[in-house]
Amino acid sequence: MRYGFAIDQDTCIGCHACTVACKTEHEVPVGQFRTWVKYVESGEFPATTRDFGVMRCNHCTDAPCVKICPTQALFKRDDGIVDFDNERCIGCKACMQGCPYDAIYIDKDTNTAAKCNFCAHRVDEGLEPACVVVCPTHSIWVGDLDDPTSGIARLVNENPVQVRSPEQNTGPNVFYLGADRAVLDPTAAPTGDSYLWARPDEHRRDASRDLPTDPVTQARTTLNTAHPRPWGWRVTTYLWTKAVGAGAMLLATLAHLLGIDLGGIADVVAPAIGVAGVGLTGVLLVWDLKRPERFLYILLKPNPRSWVFLGSVVLAIAAGLFTAWLGIGLLEPAGAMTAATGDAIRSWLAVPALLAAALTAGYTGFLFGQAEGRDLWQSPLLFWHLIVQAFMVGGGALTIAAIGTDLQAGARTLLLSTLTLATLGHLLMLLFEHLGNHATKHAAAAAHMVIKGRYARMFWAGGVALGLLGAALAGIGWAGGALAIAFAGGLIVQIALLAYESVFVRAGQDVPLS
Amino acid sequence: MTAEPVLPGARNHEHLRNFPPVSTWDDHVEYDAKAHPRKVPHSYMLVPTTCFNCESACGLLAYVDKEDLSVKKVEGNPAHPGSRGRNCAKGPATINQINDPERILYPLRRTGERGGGGWERVSWDEALDDIAGKIRTALSEGRHEEVMYHVGRPGEDGFAERFLNAWGVDGHNTHTNICSAGARLGMSLWAGFDRPSADHANAKVILLLSSHLETGHYFNPHAQRIMEAKQAGAKLIVLDPRLSNTASHSDAWLAPWPGSEAAILLSVASYLLRTRRIDESFLRRWFNWQTYLAELHPEATQDFETFLERITDDYARYTFEFAAEEAQVPAEKIAEIAELVADSDGRLAAHVWRAPTAGNLGGWQVSRALWFVLALTGSVGARGGTSPNGWHKFIPQGPNMPSHHERWNELIWPREYPLSTNEMSFLLPHFLAEGRGKLDVYFSRVYNPIWTNPDGFTWIEQLSDPDKIGLHVALTPTWSETAEFADYVLPMGHSTERHDTHSYETHAGRWLGFRQPVRRVAMDKLGHAVTDTRDANPGEVWEENEFWFELSWRIDPDGALGIKRYFESPYGSGEKITVDEYYRWMFEHNVPGLPEKAAEQNMEPLEYMRRYGVVEMDTEVYRVDERPITEEQLADTTVDDAGVVRKPVTLDSVAPVVGEAGAVGVRHDDGSVTFGWPTPSRKLEVYSTAMRDWGWQEQTTPGYIRSHVAHGEIDIDAGDLVLVPTFRLPTLIHTRSGNAKYLNEISNTHPLWLNSVDAGRHGVKTDDLVRITTEIGYFVARVWVTEGIRPGVCALSHHMGRWRLHPGEGSRWVSGMVELSHPDGEHTWFLRHKGGISPFESDDPDSSRIDWEDPGVHQNLAFAVHPDPHSGMHCWLQKIRMERARPDDRYGDVYVDTRRSAEVYREWLAKTRPALGPDGQRRPEFMLRPLAPTRRGYRAQS
Repeated sequence: MRYGFAIDQDTCIGCHACTVACKTEHEVPVGQFRTWVKYVESGEFPATTRDFGVMRCNHCTDAPCVKICPTQALFKRDDGIVDFDNERCIGCKACMQGCPYDAIYIDKDTNTAAKCNFCAHRVDEGLEPACVVVCPTHSIWVGDLDDPTSGIARLVNENPVQVRSPEQNTGPNVFYLGADRAVLDPTAAPTGDSYLWARPDEHRRDASRDLPTDPVTQARTTLNTAHPRPWGWRVTTYLWTKAVGAGAMLLATLAHLLGIDLGGIADVVAPAIGVAGVGLTGVLLVWDLKRPERFLYILLKPNPRSWVFLGSVVLAIAAGLFTAWLGIGLLEPAGAMTAATGDAIRSWLAVPALLAAALTAGYTGFLFGQAEGRDLWQSPLLFWHLIVQAFMVGGGALTIAAIGTDLQAGARTLLLSTLTLATLGHLLMLLFEHLGNHATKHAAAAAHMVIKGRYARMFWAGGVALGLLGAALAGIGWAGGALAIAFAGGLIVQIALLAYESVFVRAGQDVPLS
Repeated sequence: MTAEPVLPGARNHEHLRNFPPVSTWDDHVEYDAKAHPRKVPHSYMLVPTTCFNCESACGLLAYVDKEDLSVKKVEGNPAHPGSRGRNCAKGPATINQINDPERILYPLRRTGERGGGGWERVSWDEALDDIAGKIRTALSEGRHEEVMYHVGRPGEDGFAERFLNAWGVDGHNTHTNICSAGARLGMSLWAGFDRPSADHANAKVILLLSSHLETGHYFNPHAQRIMEAKQAGAKLIVLDPRLSNTASHSDAWLAPWPGSEAAILLSVASYLLRTRRIDESFLRRWFNWQTYLAELHPEATQDFETFLERITDDYARYTFEFAAEEAQVPAEKIAEIAELVADSDGRLAAHVWRAPTAGNLGGWQVSRALWFVLALTGSVGARGGTSPNGWHKFIPQGPNMPSHHERWNELIWPREYPLSTNEMSFLLPHFLAEGRGKLDVYFSRVYNPIWTNPDGFTWIEQLSDPDKIGLHVALTPTWSETAEFADYVLPMGHSTERHDTHSYETHAGRWLGFRQPVRRVAMDKLGHAVTDTRDANPGEVWEENEFWFELSWRIDPDGALGIKRYFESPYGSGEKITVDEYYRWMFEHNVPGLPEKAAEQNMEPLEYMRRYGVVEMDTEVYRVDERPITEEQLADTTVDDAGVVRKPVTLDSVAPVVGEAGAVGVRHDDGSVTFGWPTPSRKLEVYSTAMRDWGWQEQTTPGYIRSHVAHGEIDIDAGDLVLVPTFRLPTLIHTRSGNAKYLNEISNTHPLWLNSVDAGRHGVKTDDLVRITTEIGYFVARVWVTEGIRPGVCALSHHMGRWRLHPGEGSRWVSGMVELSHPDGEHTWFLRHKGGISPFESDDPDSSRIDWEDPGVHQNLAFAVHPDPHSGMHCWLQKIRMERARPDDRYGDVYVDTRRSAEVYREWLAKTRPALGPDGQRRPEFMLRPLAPTRRGYRAQS
């Protein structure tokens, strides 16, 4: 059993009856849509055309929203419907990043994720979805795609059909007949300054300025709905707090394993930064939830495949290990623990803490990987890049902390070489990621915004130039210059990373998906 | 158990059905959508009714919660043969209108100045007594012409006629002449009937000078059938200067210069004639070709072959090249369309209702030319062709109908416009200003002339003057600009809150729909006591039928005026008729086939209609003109020289809705007698004797009148353009959908569509402000540069530009607060917005989520009246001059000089030829005339 829709754009008249019937069936708040009609116009008078596209959840066979949802609030039913339970939803918005179709929104009434659920409450009673019932031209077909004798299966099998974003390999179950390519491909028809009887939201208008217009068709979107970025400054900041905390502990544990004595920096400062970083990360994550009071659902109603859940586990373990490390560092000087005992426990903790730190920094690579709607974030290098970033800002933080302390030569070399090399590594990786070839048009469009478009100034000046400056200053310190110079470098790389992450997080979400 | 009938809109496949079976409608359990996946059951009563948004009268099915009697949602009605269970966006959005936190819930009476914003709540009794008293006085003093009922959205056919005839008042005014009078005249001259009924579903070629895939009546019923035909291979031709959604689906889109459409159609007709791709036998039998020859070619042999030769010659001047020059389109494109039409095999379905016929001086010739093409192809009345509306609609009469009187109100039917197809409504304020009369009691019914009509400031001037209008009663479900200038604002229900019947020509069948107050029906069934519909409606919102019963009763409490008897129970109780009795009687006696259908279901007729909301009376109705006249009908008849079969009439006879009194059919050369057409000749009139008789000799045959915005009238280089101010959106309906949030959020800006060529010449780009100067003033609009409109033409949609003068007097979902001032004297008006639309607090959290801000531009204010001298249609298209906005201009500004608008009124009035026809007749008897007086009333000297 695999319920799906077939939408016949040859007969769709763009009347919005489906939109409104859906809204009245589900009492969807103003400004939000489970299904809507997109208009695209192409050509020059008198060869002008207007095409419609009915947009909605694709009830994917391999639904990324189900995979990424940490609490199984989104789930796939046996009949193929991708359904949701708003009482499990914590409002983390990860599903909105996972969905490559702009199908999910956070309901303003409930502050939980919602989308087309095929009118499952009606289907369960043997009734068609509301949009199918109302459609004046019967352009929306519904039925079992697995049953080759069903009307919808015959329609889909016997006619040329298209799906949205097939390159995402989600197995979409909404098939389009006679749809214009520019309607289905969200990057093919940028939005102008005005729609034909509404206004594009500012986010889409700004993002569209970075999208190329097809020189032949001149396709432009003349009606659509708003899809604001789900993740903002809190996620940007979380990437930094996590990196600093994890990076500090990466250095502390590595130093321990390498036998380099960083003294109090490794024993107290690094785990303190680690604990604070992980703690702040947790605060930011919970703060970013639309239903923060439900944050424990992540652990109580977990989806073991979701990197939101797995990441939370990583953060919890890391928090525990870093706290233990800090405890030792605090107990020793207080005389509550002997140095020998402390060292023994550290040796026992070092490898797990190192791994936890690495995963703390890097797991976001897997989480962003599950955000299948954001091609810019799909780099296989991202895990490693995040670890390199952690070394960069962790090294920077410890360098700052080292001012005024009596640092041994080996320790100084470790810190400053790490800071210098990690910063250079980060820069090389980000240049590689953004200037290189992109697997998809979507990723290329995002990269274009970063390097040439709306974010170019922040990227080049804030992310790259500051990064280079930080690396240079750190390098001077490493080469024997004053520690104060490296201190400045350590400070600057923090800003450089924040600038870069801000660009990376926003640009990833700016390419239209519908 | 009787078997459930198969409903025309029921679908049951893929293991799913589109509607619950009728047998469960009284107790349908549905699970809460918001609680899903938890199963929270709700028990609903499903009650059918009729949509009240556009005129299509699509079926709705309301879900009434049996716990709290709230209306949960409205879906389509699968029993409805026109809409077949489907709706456009405006159907389901009805629920927004019902639940609108801004709606008017209680009768209001003005305090202070008219238009001053002061209101107090009054009881219905107070309002009714006051209004009834004023009407009683007027009638008693013989001032019948001072009572007027002015309707926007039409109510039940025949209902207003009932109470107005009972009162003896010729006071029926409508919105028709700002809507469809042009199309009506062109068609009436041919066929007597004034509306087309295109059989889209079975057509081979569909020719639209309309946008029926997105708006108009009958949008949803037509769109579904047009698309069915397209799926079956039909070709769609669309003529529209703008890329409508309809044009976007066409096989051939022609964007002609506005006003040239008749020339294009005549060139097609000419092509059909000269290539003889015509249905000769149809023309021979049904054209009044003898009259054509006798009048225009008396010297010629009077036979059909000669007629064909002569008419071919007469139309030879309408070449593709001529049409192409008028239309500013390539001749080849017109030839392409002509070829498609010629190939239609008598299955040409065509429609024009507003568009060019409502836009242009002489626009009525467009529908006339269209019917010429239809007739030549043999598509008239045929399967897949185009019939007249009268064959596909049914008007039932209620009990105890009052007789017609002989009064003739010249404020509505003035001498200057004897051929006007409907009331000269938009000239009313000018007539009042000229002193042609005054009104003592004026009802505006779901009508917003200040906003919708041209020259709204002149309306304000007259509506504000108590010497011109003594009492203005606004009957409306929503606030409107006009209601702001009323003395009483009386809240009337939406589609789920009122009774009436409707029947429209949605396809080649006949049905009668029943609108009903759904909560009242549910309350009845659940055993709750209901006295009248107010008990079931929110606040004290009422329905009009009960209102008119009650008002008429109070006008004549003792029966002395002879009015009351028409409002007594038809079941002999002597009591005031109830709305149940009214419909029970109508359905029992005057809806053929309904009692039998009801009996099959073991139901009473009223019960059947309450259950299904509609009854289908006929399917596959074609060629009624060929329907034989029975021997019985032939009794007492005589046959005149032209073969018209007539019964005797007197001056006290009354003409039917269309056609001459007494005329029943036509005798053909073969001796057969058939129904024919309700024209003077009972034939299709290729030559109109009415035009001749009322002094328009040069317009007796289909022709081309160059529009007031023809290409030659527009000085492009000086900055002139043609403005199309009338195009509509699929999501809105006039000024009544502003209270539907789910529609507003989709359509909420008002850009001026401007082709890139024109934008380039004017040096403007999208979002720039421009000043649009008209004959009487200017307004300031915002540009949208698009390829979706032809160069030389710009367009601003209907619907937007809503305003209110005082808080609480309009819908904050859609209107902006404005200030009115008189910068250059009392006769000059300036409207400026004081901020647009913004979120507001209410019981509905969505009102705080409004993310649109554009109230639009009230362009109609700056349009002078343009009454077409023949049809009386307001010619909407505007010759405008566009310039960049000046430094002090603000978006939405409107400036008008009403002295200037009076001058333009007089210029257009001067185009008329006031005339009486034969026997001193004020207008041709065969043409539709709502509330027609007796034949005596038609005669001016009587």
